[in-house]
Amino acid sequence: MKEVMLDCFGEACPVPLIKTQNKLKELEIGDVLIVQIDHSCAMKNVPEWARTEGYNVEVEEVDDGEWEVIIEKNK
Amino acid sequence: MEKDKVKFFDRMKSNEYYVRWLKNPFTYVTAAVLLALFQIVTLAVTKNAWGVSGAFAVWGAWLYQGIGGNVDKWYYFASDSAQATLNNGILNHPDSWRNFGIIFGALAATLLASGFKFKKIKSIKQVFAATIGGLLMGYGARLAFGCNIGALFGGIASLSLSGWIFGIGMFFGAVVGSKLLVKYFM
Repeated sequence: MKEVMLDCFGEACPVPLIKTQNKLKELEIGDVLIVQIDHSCAMKNVPEWARTEGYNVEVEEVDDGEWEVIIEKNK
Repeated sequence: MEKDKVKFFDRMKSNEYYVRWLKNPFTYVTAAVLLALFQIVTLAVTKNAWGVSGAFAVWGAWLYQGIGGNVDKWYYFASDSAQATLNNGILNHPDSWRNFGIIFGALAATLLASGFKFKKIKSIKQVFAATIGGLLMGYGARLAFGCNIGALFGGIASLSLSGWIFGIGMFFGAVVGSKLLVKYFM
């Protein structure tokens, strides 16, 4: 069960979402992807997409304007 | 005294009204309704639909004049109304004031939500992408006499067919742009 960090700081939509989608394809079931974002629109659309895909998602605000989207690839 | 101050802001951070109205993003529906209401207000007060990019062209002209250039012979700035706008200066330009409002309003919103952050530039590719994209956006906005606000939002709200045509063009432009972004700039 790996934990993989994906640094998307400074990147504007749709880049964080596309990088998240590509990275998740590479992971195995049970792995956890932590996407670091600082763009408030990505803070909405990355968890939204991951939830519609059926993954477990948690969003943590780690600092002013910085979030970690924790996605567990459970299927 | 210090301890009381700290406790106040901690309590405010978890206050449900702070979270609902200042911290969390509004829903798409709420935002759409607010945008529609304010666009009606600006139309009623300034007698013009909301527009953003028009002001940028005038700012550019003022900057160019500031370094010694002259735009009076340019077709775009030769009309009487354009000349009047240029001569009246930025403090008398309602479109400029509205853009100032947008900039400071956005700053206030992000500060109130404790979300302010300077984002670092990651690579030189980002600089190129931003510069090329910005130039194309500015150029296109003047060709179309508006951007997504003036031409699309304002146009459709004014029941103009051009707004819808602009929307279709913008959609396909965004598709092409996204593919280029993913292929060359990601």
